[in-house]
Amino acid sequence: MLRFGSQSMVRLTARSTPRLFLRAQSTNALNTAQTPFTFSKSGPSAIKYTTQHEWIAAHQDGTAFVGITKYAADALGDATYVELPEIDTELEAGDSLGSLESVKSASEIYSPVAGTVVEVNESLNDSPQLINQDPLGEAWIAKVRVNSLEDLQKEDLLTLEQYEDSLKEDH
Amino acid sequence: MVGLLRSLNPVCGFLRHSRSQCRFLGSKAPFDLDLDAQNDKYSEVNNMYTKLFTGESSESTTLVSEVNKTDSNLYESEVDEFNAELAETYDFSPKILSGEELAKLVKTPGRFMIQSLSKNPYYNLAVEDYVFKNTPVEKNGSFSNERLLFYVNDKCAVIGKNQTPWKELFLQNCKSRGYQYVRRLSGGGAVIHDLGNVNYSYLTSRNAFRREYFNEQIVAWLTQVRPETNISLNERGDIQLDDLKISGSAFKIAGGKSYHHGTMLVNANLASFKGLLKPAHIDGICWSGGSVDSVRSHVKNIQDAGFKSTNEFIDICIRGFRSTFQEDVPVYLVDEVNTQTDNIMETTDQLASNEWLYDSGPKFTVTLGSFKFSVEKGLIVDSSMPHMKGKRFKTFVDSLNNQEFETLKTTI
Repeated sequence: MLRFGSQSMVRLTARSTPRLFLRAQSTNALNTAQTPFTFSKSGPSAIKYTTQHEWIAAHQDGTAFVGITKYAADALGDATYVELPEIDTELEAGDSLGSLESVKSASEIYSPVAGTVVEVNESLNDSPQLINQDPLGEAWIAKVRVNSLEDLQKEDLLTLEQYEDSLKEDH
Repeated sequence: MVGLLRSLNPVCGFLRHSRSQCRFLGSKAPFDLDLDAQNDKYSEVNNMYTKLFTGESSESTTLVSEVNKTDSNLYESEVDEFNAELAETYDFSPKILSGEELAKLVKTPGRFMIQSLSKNPYYNLAVEDYVFKNTPVEKNGSFSNERLLFYVNDKCAVIGKNQTPWKELFLQNCKSRGYQYVRRLSGGGAVIHDLGNVNYSYLTSRNAFRREYFNEQIVAWLTQVRPETNISLNERGDIQLDDLKISGSAFKIAGGKSYHHGTMLVNANLASFKGLLKPAHIDGICWSGGSVDSVRSHVKNIQDAGFKSTNEFIDICIRGFRSTFQEDVPVYLVDEVNTQTDNIMETTDQLASNEWLYDSGPKFTVTLGSFKFSVEKGLIVDSSMPHMKGKRFKTFVDSLNNQEFETLKTTI
Protein backbone atom coordinates (compact mmCIF):
# COMPACT_ATOMS: atom_id res chain seq x y z
CA MET A 1 0.00 0.00 0.00
CA LEU A 2 2.81 2.37 0.82
CA ARG A 3 4.33 1.49 -2.51
CA PHE A 4 1.13 2.35 -4.35
CA GLY A 5 0.77 5.54 -2.40
CA SER A 6 4.19 6.80 -3.30
CA GLN A 7 3.63 6.00 -6.97
CA SER A 8 0.52 8.09 -6.98
CA MET A 9 2.48 10.95 -5.51
CA VAL A 10 4.99 10.75 -8.32
CA ARG A 11 2.19 10.76 -10.87
CA LEU A 12 0.49 13.72 -9.32
CA THR A 13 3.75 15.57 -9.64
CA ALA A 14 4.10 14.49 -13.26
CA ARG A 15 0.65 15.83 -14.05
CA SER A 16 1.73 19.37 -13.31
CA THR A 17 4.35 19.12 -16.08
CA PRO A 18 3.30 20.97 -19.26
CA ARG A 19 1.63 18.62 -21.76
CA LEU A 20 3.80 19.62 -24.70
CA PHE A 21 6.87 18.75 -22.76
CA LEU A 22 5.39 15.34 -21.96
CA ARG A 23 4.57 14.72 -25.58
CA ALA A 24 8.12 15.44 -26.61
CA GLN A 25 9.33 13.11 -23.91
CA SER A 26 6.84 10.37 -24.66
CA THR A 27 8.26 6.91 -25.13
CA ASN A 28 4.94 5.80 -26.59
CA ALA A 29 5.48 7.81 -29.77
CA LEU A 30 6.09 5.91 -33.00
CA ASN A 31 9.75 5.39 -33.93
CA THR A 32 10.13 7.53 -37.05
CA ALA A 33 13.16 5.59 -38.27
CA GLN A 34 11.41 2.23 -38.65
CA THR A 35 9.08 0.61 -41.22
CA PRO A 36 5.78 1.42 -39.49
CA PHE A 37 6.63 5.10 -40.03
CA THR A 38 8.75 5.01 -43.20
CA PHE A 39 6.45 2.66 -45.13
CA SER A 40 5.08 5.59 -47.15
CA LYS A 41 6.98 8.71 -48.15
CA SER A 42 4.63 11.05 -46.34
CA GLY A 43 4.59 8.87 -43.20
CA PRO A 44 1.43 7.53 -41.54
CA SER A 45 -1.80 9.45 -42.10
CA ALA A 46 -3.03 8.45 -38.65
CA ILE A 47 -1.40 7.05 -35.51
CA LYS A 48 -3.80 5.88 -32.82
CA TYR A 49 -3.76 3.97 -29.53
CA THR A 50 -6.17 1.68 -27.70
CA THR A 51 -6.96 1.44 -24.02
CA GLN A 52 -5.61 -2.12 -24.26
CA HIS A 53 -2.19 -0.63 -25.08
CA GLU A 54 -1.96 -1.35 -28.81
CA TRP A 55 -0.86 1.24 -31.36
CA ILE A 56 -1.80 1.43 -35.03
CA ALA A 57 -0.08 3.47 -37.73
CA ALA A 58 -2.14 3.69 -40.92
CA HIS A 59 -0.86 4.91 -44.25
CA GLN A 60 -2.72 6.61 -47.09
CA ASP A 61 -2.99 3.38 -49.17
CA GLY A 62 -4.88 1.58 -46.37
CA THR A 63 -1.89 -0.35 -45.03
CA ALA A 64 -1.51 -0.20 -41.27
CA PHE A 65 1.04 -1.51 -38.78
CA VAL A 66 0.00 -2.70 -35.33
CA GLY A 67 2.06 -3.24 -32.23
CA ILE A 68 2.04 -2.77 -28.46
CA THR A 69 3.06 0.39 -26.62
CA LYS A 70 6.26 0.97 -24.72
CA TYR A 71 4.18 1.32 -21.59
CA ALA A 72 2.74 -2.20 -22.06
CA ALA A 73 6.09 -3.72 -23.01
CA ASP A 74 7.69 -2.25 -19.88
CA ALA A 75 4.82 -3.35 -17.65
CA LEU A 76 4.89 -6.92 -18.97
CA GLY A 77 8.64 -7.41 -18.72
CA ASP A 78 11.00 -9.46 -20.88
CA ALA A 79 9.18 -10.99 -23.84
CA THR A 80 9.89 -14.69 -24.35
CA TYR A 81 7.48 -15.54 -27.15
CA VAL A 82 5.26 -13.73 -29.63
CA GLU A 83 2.33 -15.62 -31.09
CA LEU A 84 1.73 -14.03 -34.50
CA PRO A 85 -1.58 -14.09 -36.36
CA GLU A 86 -2.19 -16.04 -39.56
CA ILE A 87 -1.72 -14.17 -42.81
CA ASP A 88 -5.09 -13.53 -44.53
CA THR A 89 -6.97 -13.57 -41.22
CA GLU A 90 -9.95 -11.26 -41.44
CA LEU A 91 -10.37 -9.25 -38.30
CA GLU A 92 -13.06 -7.19 -36.67
CA ALA A 93 -11.99 -4.40 -34.34
CA GLY A 94 -11.19 -6.03 -31.00
CA ASP A 95 -10.42 -9.48 -32.45
CA SER A 96 -7.33 -11.25 -31.23
CA LEU A 97 -4.23 -10.42 -33.23
CA GLY A 98 -1.98 -12.86 -31.42
CA SER A 99 -0.44 -12.86 -27.99
CA LEU A 100 2.72 -12.06 -26.15
CA GLU A 101 4.35 -14.15 -23.47
CA SER A 102 6.61 -12.44 -20.98
CA VAL A 103 7.75 -13.75 -17.62
CA LYS A 104 5.08 -16.47 -17.48
CA SER A 105 2.25 -14.11 -18.57
CA ALA A 106 0.34 -14.71 -21.77
CA SER A 107 -1.27 -11.42 -22.87
CA GLU A 108 -3.71 -11.10 -25.73
CA ILE A 109 -3.14 -8.49 -28.40
CA TYR A 110 -6.22 -7.05 -30.11
CA SER A 111 -6.73 -5.48 -33.51
CA PRO A 112 -7.64 -1.78 -33.13
CA VAL A 113 -9.67 -1.78 -36.39
CA ALA A 114 -11.29 -4.15 -38.88
CA GLY A 115 -9.03 -5.43 -41.65
CA THR A 116 -7.06 -8.32 -43.08
CA VAL A 117 -3.62 -9.47 -41.97
CA VAL A 118 -1.26 -9.16 -44.95
CA GLU A 119 2.09 -9.71 -43.26
CA VAL A 120 3.46 -10.62 -39.83
CA ASN A 121 6.80 -9.63 -38.35
CA GLU A 122 8.66 -12.94 -38.60
CA SER A 123 11.74 -11.50 -36.90
CA LEU A 124 9.79 -11.69 -33.62
CA ASN A 125 9.89 -15.51 -33.85
CA ASP A 126 13.61 -15.58 -33.23
CA SER A 127 13.94 -12.27 -31.39
CA PRO A 128 10.96 -11.71 -29.09
CA GLN A 129 13.16 -9.34 -27.06
CA LEU A 130 12.66 -6.74 -29.84
CA ILE A 131 9.30 -6.12 -28.15
CA ASN A 132 11.17 -4.64 -25.19
CA GLN A 133 13.80 -2.86 -27.26
CA ASP A 134 11.69 -1.09 -29.89
CA PRO A 135 7.98 -1.82 -29.41
CA LEU A 136 6.91 1.19 -31.50
CA GLY A 137 9.22 0.50 -34.40
CA GLU A 138 11.13 -2.64 -35.26
CA ALA A 139 8.80 -4.80 -33.15
CA TRP A 140 5.61 -4.12 -35.08
CA ILE A 141 3.49 -7.25 -34.89
CA ALA A 142 1.27 -7.28 -37.94
CA LYS A 143 0.72 -5.41 -41.15
CA VAL A 144 -2.99 -5.09 -41.79
CA ARG A 145 -5.00 -3.88 -44.77
CA VAL A 146 -7.68 -1.86 -43.02
CA ASN A 147 -11.25 -2.09 -44.29
CA SER A 148 -11.71 1.66 -44.04
CA LEU A 149 -9.29 4.43 -43.14
CA GLU A 150 -12.25 6.24 -41.61
CA ASP A 151 -12.22 3.67 -38.80
CA LEU A 152 -9.05 5.33 -37.55
CA GLN A 153 -11.18 8.34 -36.61
CA LYS A 154 -13.47 6.34 -34.30
CA GLU A 155 -13.85 7.77 -30.84
CA ASP A 156 -12.59 4.75 -28.95
CA LEU A 157 -9.18 5.10 -30.58
CA LEU A 158 -6.95 7.52 -28.71
CA THR A 159 -4.43 10.08 -29.85
CA LEU A 160 -0.99 9.88 -28.26
CA GLU A 161 -1.92 12.67 -25.89
CA GLN A 162 -5.19 10.99 -24.90
CA TYR A 163 -3.38 7.69 -24.40
CA GLU A 164 -0.76 9.27 -22.18
CA ASP A 165 -3.52 10.97 -20.20
CA SER A 166 -5.36 7.66 -19.81
CA LEU A 167 -2.20 6.15 -18.32
CA LYS A 168 -2.11 8.88 -15.72
CA GLU A 169 -5.76 8.38 -14.83
CA ASP A 170 -5.51 4.62 -14.74
CA HIS A 171 -2.67 4.15 -12.37
CA MET B 1 -8.31 11.18 -6.80
CA VAL B 2 -9.95 8.41 -8.71
CA GLY B 3 -6.53 7.09 -9.55
CA LEU B 4 -5.47 7.25 -5.94
CA LEU B 5 -8.47 5.31 -4.70
CA ARG B 6 -8.01 2.67 -7.32
CA SER B 7 -4.37 2.28 -6.45
CA LEU B 8 -5.41 1.34 -2.96
CA ASN B 9 -7.03 -1.67 -4.46
CA PRO B 10 -6.72 -4.13 -1.58
CA VAL B 11 -8.87 -1.99 0.66
CA CYS B 12 -11.10 -0.26 -1.81
CA GLY B 13 -13.92 -2.66 -1.02
CA PHE B 14 -13.74 -1.51 2.54
CA LEU B 15 -13.72 2.13 1.54
CA ARG B 16 -16.68 1.59 -0.69
CA HIS B 17 -18.44 -0.18 2.12
CA SER B 18 -17.95 2.62 4.59
CA ARG B 19 -18.84 5.27 2.05
CA SER B 20 -22.14 3.63 1.25
CA GLN B 21 -22.86 3.38 4.97
CA CYS B 22 -22.31 7.07 5.40
CA ARG B 23 -24.58 7.82 2.54
CA PHE B 24 -27.27 5.61 3.99
CA LEU B 25 -27.01 6.97 7.50
CA GLY B 26 -27.54 10.42 6.03
CA SER B 27 -30.82 9.34 4.54
CA LYS B 28 -32.52 8.74 7.89
CA ALA B 29 -32.78 12.50 8.42
CA PRO B 30 -36.44 12.81 7.31
CA PHE B 31 -37.76 11.20 10.49
CA ASP B 32 -36.69 11.25 14.10
CA LEU B 33 -35.93 7.84 15.52
CA ASP B 34 -36.38 9.01 19.09
CA LEU B 35 -40.06 9.67 18.57
CA ASP B 36 -42.57 7.16 19.72
CA ALA B 37 -42.55 4.42 17.13
CA GLN B 38 -46.22 3.74 17.71
CA ASN B 39 -47.02 7.08 16.26
CA ASP B 40 -48.84 6.04 13.10
CA LYS B 41 -47.35 8.74 10.98
CA TYR B 42 -43.81 7.61 11.60
CA SER B 43 -44.42 3.94 11.63
CA GLU B 44 -45.76 4.27 8.13
CA VAL B 45 -42.63 6.07 7.04
CA ASN B 46 -40.52 3.50 8.85
CA ASN B 47 -42.38 0.68 7.21
CA MET B 48 -41.83 2.27 3.86
CA TYR B 49 -38.11 2.38 4.49
CA THR B 50 -38.19 -1.14 5.81
CA LYS B 51 -39.84 -2.40 2.67
CA LEU B 52 -37.60 -0.30 0.53
CA PHE B 53 -34.48 -1.86 1.88
CA THR B 54 -35.63 -5.40 2.42
CA GLY B 55 -33.86 -7.65 -0.01
CA GLU B 56 -31.39 -4.94 -0.85
CA SER B 57 -27.66 -5.46 -0.43
CA SER B 58 -26.62 -6.99 2.87
CA GLU B 59 -25.07 -3.81 4.24
CA SER B 60 -28.32 -1.90 3.87
CA THR B 61 -30.24 -4.69 5.57
CA THR B 62 -27.89 -4.60 8.53
CA LEU B 63 -28.41 -0.91 8.98
CA VAL B 64 -32.16 -1.06 8.73
CA SER B 65 -32.33 -3.72 11.39
CA GLU B 66 -30.08 -1.66 13.64
CA VAL B 67 -32.25 1.37 13.13
CA ASN B 68 -35.31 -0.61 14.05
CA LYS B 69 -33.72 -2.07 17.15
CA THR B 70 -33.73 1.42 18.62
CA ASP B 71 -37.48 1.44 18.25
CA SER B 72 -40.02 -0.14 20.55
CA ASN B 73 -41.07 -3.77 20.70
CA LEU B 74 -43.57 -3.16 17.98
CA TYR B 75 -40.98 -4.21 15.46
CA GLU B 76 -39.78 -7.29 17.22
CA SER B 77 -41.36 -9.63 14.70
CA GLU B 78 -39.84 -7.63 11.88
CA VAL B 79 -36.48 -7.77 13.58
CA ASP B 80 -36.89 -11.52 13.56
CA GLU B 81 -37.75 -11.34 9.93
CA PHE B 82 -34.64 -9.33 9.25
CA ASN B 83 -32.56 -11.74 11.22
CA ALA B 84 -33.86 -14.59 9.16
CA GLU B 85 -33.03 -12.70 6.01
CA LEU B 86 -29.66 -11.78 7.38
CA ALA B 87 -28.96 -15.40 8.15
CA GLU B 88 -29.85 -16.22 4.59
CA THR B 89 -27.77 -13.38 3.18
CA TYR B 90 -24.82 -14.30 5.31
CA ASP B 91 -25.18 -18.02 4.83
CA PHE B 92 -21.79 -18.79 3.43
CA SER B 93 -22.13 -22.54 3.73
CA PRO B 94 -21.14 -23.41 0.19
CA LYS B 95 -23.73 -24.38 -2.41
CA ILE B 96 -23.11 -26.32 -5.59
CA LEU B 97 -24.09 -23.99 -8.39
CA SER B 98 -26.06 -24.98 -11.45
CA GLY B 99 -24.72 -23.84 -14.80
CA GLU B 100 -27.33 -21.06 -14.95
CA GLU B 101 -26.49 -19.89 -11.43
CA LEU B 102 -22.80 -19.77 -12.25
CA ALA B 103 -23.49 -17.86 -15.47
CA LYS B 104 -25.56 -15.28 -13.59
CA LEU B 105 -23.08 -15.01 -10.73
CA VAL B 106 -20.05 -14.53 -12.95
CA LYS B 107 -21.66 -11.77 -14.99
CA THR B 108 -22.82 -9.88 -11.89
CA PRO B 109 -20.33 -7.40 -10.44
CA GLY B 110 -18.81 -8.24 -7.07
CA ARG B 111 -16.29 -10.45 -5.39
CA PHE B 112 -16.66 -14.18 -4.77
CA MET B 113 -14.71 -17.39 -4.43
CA ILE B 114 -15.31 -20.71 -6.14
CA GLN B 115 -14.08 -24.11 -5.10
CA SER B 116 -14.38 -26.84 -7.71
CA LEU B 117 -15.15 -30.35 -6.52
CA SER B 118 -14.19 -31.73 -9.93
CA LYS B 119 -10.79 -33.33 -10.29
CA ASN B 120 -10.84 -33.13 -14.08
CA PRO B 121 -8.06 -30.71 -15.11
CA TYR B 122 -9.71 -29.87 -18.45
CA TYR B 123 -13.02 -29.00 -16.79
CA ASN B 124 -11.34 -26.98 -14.07
CA LEU B 125 -9.34 -24.94 -16.58
CA ALA B 126 -12.55 -24.42 -18.58
CA VAL B 127 -14.38 -23.07 -15.50
CA GLU B 128 -11.47 -20.75 -14.82
CA ASP B 129 -11.50 -19.54 -18.42
CA TYR B 130 -15.27 -19.03 -18.27
CA VAL B 131 -15.08 -16.95 -15.10
CA PHE B 132 -12.16 -14.98 -16.55
CA LYS B 133 -13.86 -14.17 -19.84
CA ASN B 134 -17.27 -13.32 -18.37
CA THR B 135 -16.28 -11.22 -15.37
CA PRO B 136 -17.46 -7.67 -16.10
CA VAL B 137 -15.05 -4.74 -16.38
CA GLU B 138 -16.46 -1.31 -15.67
CA LYS B 139 -15.80 1.26 -18.36
CA ASN B 140 -14.84 3.94 -15.84
CA GLY B 141 -11.81 1.95 -14.78
CA SER B 142 -12.73 1.07 -11.20
CA PHE B 143 -12.71 -2.66 -10.45
CA SER B 144 -14.04 -4.54 -7.46
CA ASN B 145 -14.89 -7.86 -9.13
CA GLU B 146 -11.93 -9.83 -7.85
CA ARG B 147 -12.50 -13.56 -7.91
CA LEU B 148 -10.59 -16.43 -6.37
CA LEU B 149 -10.88 -20.03 -7.56
CA PHE B 150 -9.59 -23.25 -6.05
CA TYR B 151 -9.32 -26.63 -7.73
CA VAL B 152 -7.45 -29.86 -7.14
CA ASN B 153 -6.64 -31.93 -10.22
CA ASP B 154 -6.13 -35.65 -10.61
CA LYS B 155 -2.61 -36.66 -11.62
CA CYS B 156 -1.57 -34.59 -14.63
CA ALA B 157 1.43 -32.99 -16.34
CA VAL B 158 0.70 -29.40 -17.38
CA ILE B 159 2.66 -27.24 -19.83
CA GLY B 160 2.35 -23.56 -20.72
CA LYS B 161 0.44 -22.35 -23.77
CA ASN B 162 3.63 -21.58 -25.68
CA GLN B 163 5.54 -24.78 -24.98
CA THR B 164 6.18 -27.97 -26.94
CA PRO B 165 4.93 -31.12 -25.19
CA TRP B 166 7.64 -33.50 -26.49
CA LYS B 167 10.33 -31.08 -25.38
CA GLU B 168 8.95 -30.66 -21.86
CA LEU B 169 7.44 -34.02 -20.92
CA PHE B 170 8.24 -37.72 -21.03
CA LEU B 171 4.78 -38.24 -22.52
CA GLN B 172 5.16 -42.04 -22.55
CA ASN B 173 5.97 -42.10 -18.84
CA CYS B 174 3.10 -39.73 -18.11
CA LYS B 175 0.70 -42.01 -19.92
CA SER B 176 1.90 -45.26 -18.43
CA ARG B 177 1.83 -43.83 -14.89
CA GLY B 178 -1.60 -42.26 -15.31
CA TYR B 179 -0.68 -38.57 -15.51
CA GLN B 180 -2.90 -36.85 -18.07
CA TYR B 181 -1.20 -34.39 -20.39
CA VAL B 182 -2.66 -30.86 -20.17
CA ARG B 183 -1.77 -27.69 -22.06
CA ARG B 184 -3.09 -24.64 -20.23
CA LEU B 185 -4.19 -21.25 -21.61
CA SER B 186 -1.66 -19.20 -19.65
CA GLY B 187 2.07 -18.80 -20.08
CA GLY B 188 4.91 -20.30 -18.10
CA GLY B 189 6.54 -23.70 -17.73
CA ALA B 190 5.79 -27.35 -17.12
CA VAL B 191 4.50 -28.61 -13.78
CA ILE B 192 3.08 -31.81 -12.26
CA HIS B 193 -0.20 -31.91 -10.31
CA ASP B 194 -1.77 -34.58 -8.14
CA LEU B 195 -4.42 -34.69 -5.41
CA GLY B 196 -1.93 -33.28 -2.90
CA ASN B 197 -1.63 -30.05 -4.86
CA VAL B 198 -4.03 -27.08 -4.72
CA ASN B 199 -4.46 -24.77 -7.70
CA TYR B 200 -5.50 -21.24 -6.81
CA SER B 201 -6.49 -18.63 -9.35
CA TYR B 202 -6.79 -14.94 -8.51
CA LEU B 203 -8.61 -12.76 -11.01
CA THR B 204 -8.34 -8.97 -11.06
CA SER B 205 -8.20 -6.11 -13.56
CA ARG B 206 -5.31 -5.63 -15.94
CA ASN B 207 -4.60 -2.29 -14.30
CA ALA B 208 -4.29 -3.85 -10.86
CA PHE B 209 -2.15 -6.71 -12.16
CA ARG B 210 1.16 -7.13 -10.40
CA ARG B 211 2.84 -10.52 -10.61
CA GLU B 212 3.94 -10.77 -6.99
CA TYR B 213 0.76 -9.41 -5.43
CA PHE B 214 -1.21 -12.56 -4.74
CA ASN B 215 1.75 -14.69 -3.70
CA GLU B 216 2.67 -11.96 -1.21
CA GLN B 217 -0.82 -12.32 0.23
CA ILE B 218 -0.47 -16.10 0.51
CA VAL B 219 2.91 -15.79 2.24
CA ALA B 220 1.38 -13.35 4.73
CA TRP B 221 -1.64 -15.61 5.41
CA LEU B 222 0.46 -18.76 5.88
CA THR B 223 2.94 -16.96 8.09
CA GLN B 224 0.13 -15.59 10.21
CA VAL B 225 -1.10 -19.13 10.89
CA ARG B 226 2.37 -20.54 11.54
CA PRO B 227 4.74 -17.69 12.40
CA GLU B 228 7.61 -20.09 13.04
CA THR B 229 7.79 -21.22 9.39
CA ASN B 230 10.28 -19.83 6.91
CA ILE B 231 8.01 -19.13 3.94
CA SER B 232 9.00 -16.40 1.49
CA LEU B 233 9.03 -15.28 -2.13
CA ASN B 234 12.07 -16.01 -4.26
CA GLU B 235 13.44 -13.61 -6.88
CA ARG B 236 11.07 -15.05 -9.51
CA GLY B 237 8.04 -14.34 -7.30
CA ASP B 238 7.53 -18.02 -6.45
CA ILE B 239 6.71 -19.11 -2.92
CA GLN B 240 9.39 -21.14 -1.18
CA LEU B 241 9.65 -22.99 2.12
CA ASP B 242 13.17 -22.73 3.50
CA ASP B 243 15.01 -22.74 0.19
CA LEU B 244 12.77 -25.01 -1.86
CA LYS B 245 9.91 -24.07 -4.12
CA ILE B 246 6.44 -25.09 -2.94
CA SER B 247 4.45 -23.21 -5.56
CA GLY B 248 4.61 -22.25 -9.23
CA SER B 249 2.78 -19.48 -11.07
CA ALA B 250 1.50 -18.52 -14.49
CA PHE B 251 -0.52 -15.54 -15.71
CA LYS B 252 -2.93 -14.48 -18.37
CA ILE B 253 -3.93 -10.98 -19.44
CA ALA B 254 -6.83 -10.34 -21.81
CA GLY B 255 -9.82 -8.04 -22.21
CA GLY B 256 -8.78 -5.60 -19.49
CA LYS B 257 -8.52 -8.42 -16.93
CA SER B 258 -5.78 -10.68 -15.61
CA TYR B 259 -5.44 -13.84 -13.63
CA HIS B 260 -2.62 -15.30 -11.65
CA HIS B 261 -2.96 -19.01 -11.16
CA GLY B 262 -0.58 -20.97 -9.07
CA THR B 263 0.03 -24.37 -7.57
CA MET B 264 0.59 -25.12 -3.89
CA LEU B 265 2.21 -28.45 -3.07
CA VAL B 266 0.58 -29.49 0.19
CA ASN B 267 1.08 -33.24 0.42
CA ALA B 268 1.81 -34.26 -3.16
CA ASN B 269 3.53 -37.53 -3.97
CA LEU B 270 6.73 -35.82 -5.04
CA ALA B 271 8.76 -39.02 -5.33
CA SER B 272 6.52 -40.22 -8.15
CA PHE B 273 7.03 -36.99 -10.13
CA LYS B 274 10.48 -38.21 -11.13
CA GLY B 275 10.83 -39.07 -14.81
CA LEU B 276 7.83 -37.01 -15.96
CA LEU B 277 9.43 -33.64 -16.69
CA LYS B 278 12.31 -33.65 -19.14
CA PRO B 279 15.68 -32.15 -18.26
CA ALA B 280 16.84 -29.13 -20.27
CA HIS B 281 19.17 -31.28 -22.38
CA ILE B 282 19.00 -34.84 -23.63
CA ASP B 283 21.90 -36.17 -25.69
CA GLY B 284 21.15 -36.62 -29.38
CA ILE B 285 18.07 -34.39 -29.35
CA CYS B 286 18.18 -30.68 -30.12
CA TRP B 287 15.15 -28.39 -30.08
CA SER B 288 14.99 -24.93 -31.58
CA GLY B 289 12.14 -22.50 -32.03
CA GLY B 290 10.25 -19.92 -30.08
CA SER B 291 8.95 -22.28 -27.42
CA VAL B 292 9.18 -20.97 -23.87
CA ASP B 293 11.69 -22.73 -21.60
CA SER B 294 10.81 -24.22 -18.23
CA VAL B 295 12.97 -23.28 -15.25
CA ARG B 296 13.81 -26.44 -13.31
CA SER B 297 13.52 -26.18 -9.55
CA HIS B 298 13.65 -28.57 -6.60
CA VAL B 299 10.36 -28.67 -4.76
CA LYS B 300 8.88 -29.68 -1.42
CA ASN B 301 5.45 -29.85 0.27
CA ILE B 302 4.13 -27.29 2.78
CA GLN B 303 3.15 -30.31 4.81
CA ASP B 304 6.77 -30.13 5.99
CA ALA B 305 5.86 -26.86 7.73
CA GLY B 306 2.88 -28.40 9.51
CA PHE B 307 0.08 -27.55 7.06
CA LYS B 308 -1.90 -30.75 7.03
CA SER B 309 -4.24 -30.89 4.09
CA THR B 310 -5.29 -29.25 0.85
CA ASN B 311 -8.48 -28.15 2.63
CA GLU B 312 -6.52 -26.45 5.39
CA PHE B 313 -4.65 -24.45 2.77
CA ILE B 314 -7.88 -23.53 1.00
CA ASP B 315 -9.49 -22.46 4.30
CA ILE B 316 -6.52 -20.24 5.13
CA CYS B 317 -6.83 -18.58 1.72
CA ILE B 318 -10.60 -18.11 2.10
CA ARG B 319 -10.14 -16.41 5.47
CA GLY B 320 -7.20 -14.40 4.12
CA PHE B 321 -9.14 -13.23 1.08
CA ARG B 322 -11.98 -11.98 3.29
CA SER B 323 -9.63 -10.16 5.60
CA THR B 324 -7.68 -8.59 2.72
CA PHE B 325 -10.87 -7.15 1.24
CA GLN B 326 -12.57 -6.51 4.61
CA GLU B 327 -15.65 -8.18 3.18
CA ASP B 328 -17.50 -11.44 3.83
CA VAL B 329 -16.81 -12.70 0.34
CA PRO B 330 -19.01 -15.76 -0.37
CA VAL B 331 -17.70 -19.17 -1.44
CA TYR B 332 -19.55 -21.27 -4.02
CA LEU B 333 -18.98 -24.82 -5.13
CA VAL B 334 -19.02 -26.13 -8.68
CA ASP B 335 -18.72 -29.65 -10.04
CA GLU B 336 -18.75 -31.24 -13.42
CA VAL B 337 -22.18 -32.85 -13.05
CA ASN B 338 -24.17 -29.89 -11.68
CA THR B 339 -22.29 -26.92 -13.06
CA GLN B 340 -22.41 -27.13 -16.81
CA THR B 341 -22.83 -24.40 -19.37
CA ASP B 342 -22.48 -24.98 -23.13
CA ASN B 343 -19.47 -22.74 -23.13
CA ILE B 344 -17.70 -24.53 -20.27
CA MET B 345 -18.31 -27.96 -21.79
CA GLU B 346 -17.06 -26.81 -25.20
CA THR B 347 -13.88 -25.40 -23.68
CA THR B 348 -13.42 -28.62 -21.67
CA ASP B 349 -13.56 -30.63 -24.91
CA GLN B 350 -11.26 -28.24 -26.74
CA LEU B 351 -8.65 -28.35 -23.98
CA ALA B 352 -8.71 -32.15 -24.09
CA SER B 353 -8.61 -32.32 -27.91
CA ASN B 354 -5.59 -33.57 -29.84
CA GLU B 355 -5.69 -30.41 -31.88
CA TRP B 356 -5.09 -28.20 -28.84
CA LEU B 357 -2.72 -30.61 -27.11
CA TYR B 358 -0.46 -31.53 -30.03
CA ASP B 359 -1.11 -29.28 -33.02
CA SER B 360 -1.54 -25.72 -31.71
CA GLY B 361 1.76 -24.81 -30.06
CA PRO B 362 4.67 -22.75 -31.38
CA LYS B 363 6.47 -23.91 -34.51
CA PHE B 364 9.74 -25.65 -33.84
CA THR B 365 12.61 -27.58 -35.38
CA VAL B 366 13.99 -30.70 -33.74
CA THR B 367 17.14 -32.59 -34.65
CA LEU B 368 17.06 -36.31 -33.80
CA GLY B 369 20.40 -37.97 -34.47
CA SER B 370 21.20 -36.92 -38.02
CA PHE B 371 17.66 -36.05 -39.04
CA LYS B 372 15.95 -32.70 -38.87
CA PHE B 373 12.21 -32.02 -38.61
CA SER B 374 10.52 -28.64 -38.89
CA VAL B 375 7.03 -28.61 -37.47
CA GLU B 376 4.24 -26.05 -37.83
CA LYS B 377 0.74 -26.56 -36.45
CA GLY B 378 1.52 -30.15 -35.66
CA LEU B 379 2.58 -30.97 -39.22
CA ILE B 380 6.10 -31.74 -40.44
CA VAL B 381 6.68 -29.00 -43.02
CA ASP B 382 10.26 -29.88 -43.76
CA SER B 383 12.46 -32.88 -42.98
CA SER B 384 15.73 -34.47 -43.95
CA MET B 385 14.07 -37.86 -43.43
CA PRO B 386 12.51 -38.94 -46.71
CA HIS B 387 8.70 -39.06 -47.01
CA MET B 388 8.09 -37.37 -43.66
CA LYS B 389 7.07 -34.02 -45.07
CA GLY B 390 3.35 -33.44 -44.64
CA LYS B 391 2.97 -36.11 -41.92
CA ARG B 392 1.61 -35.27 -38.51
CA PHE B 393 4.43 -34.94 -35.99
CA LYS B 394 2.47 -36.80 -33.31
CA THR B 395 1.96 -39.78 -35.66
CA PHE B 396 5.66 -39.72 -36.47
CA VAL B 397 6.58 -39.69 -32.77
CA ASP B 398 4.27 -42.63 -32.06
CA SER B 399 5.98 -44.61 -34.87
CA LEU B 400 9.40 -43.55 -33.64
CA ASN B 401 8.65 -44.68 -30.10
CA ASN B 402 7.44 -48.02 -31.50
CA GLN B 403 10.88 -48.44 -33.04
CA GLU B 404 9.45 -48.48 -36.55
CA PHE B 405 12.40 -46.71 -38.20
CA GLU B 406 15.53 -48.64 -39.21
CA THR B 407 17.63 -45.52 -39.55
CA LEU B 408 16.53 -43.74 -36.36
CA LYS B 409 16.55 -45.62 -33.07
CA THR B 410 15.57 -43.13 -30.42
CA THR B 411 12.51 -42.28 -28.38
CA ILE B 412 11.16 -38.87 -27.46
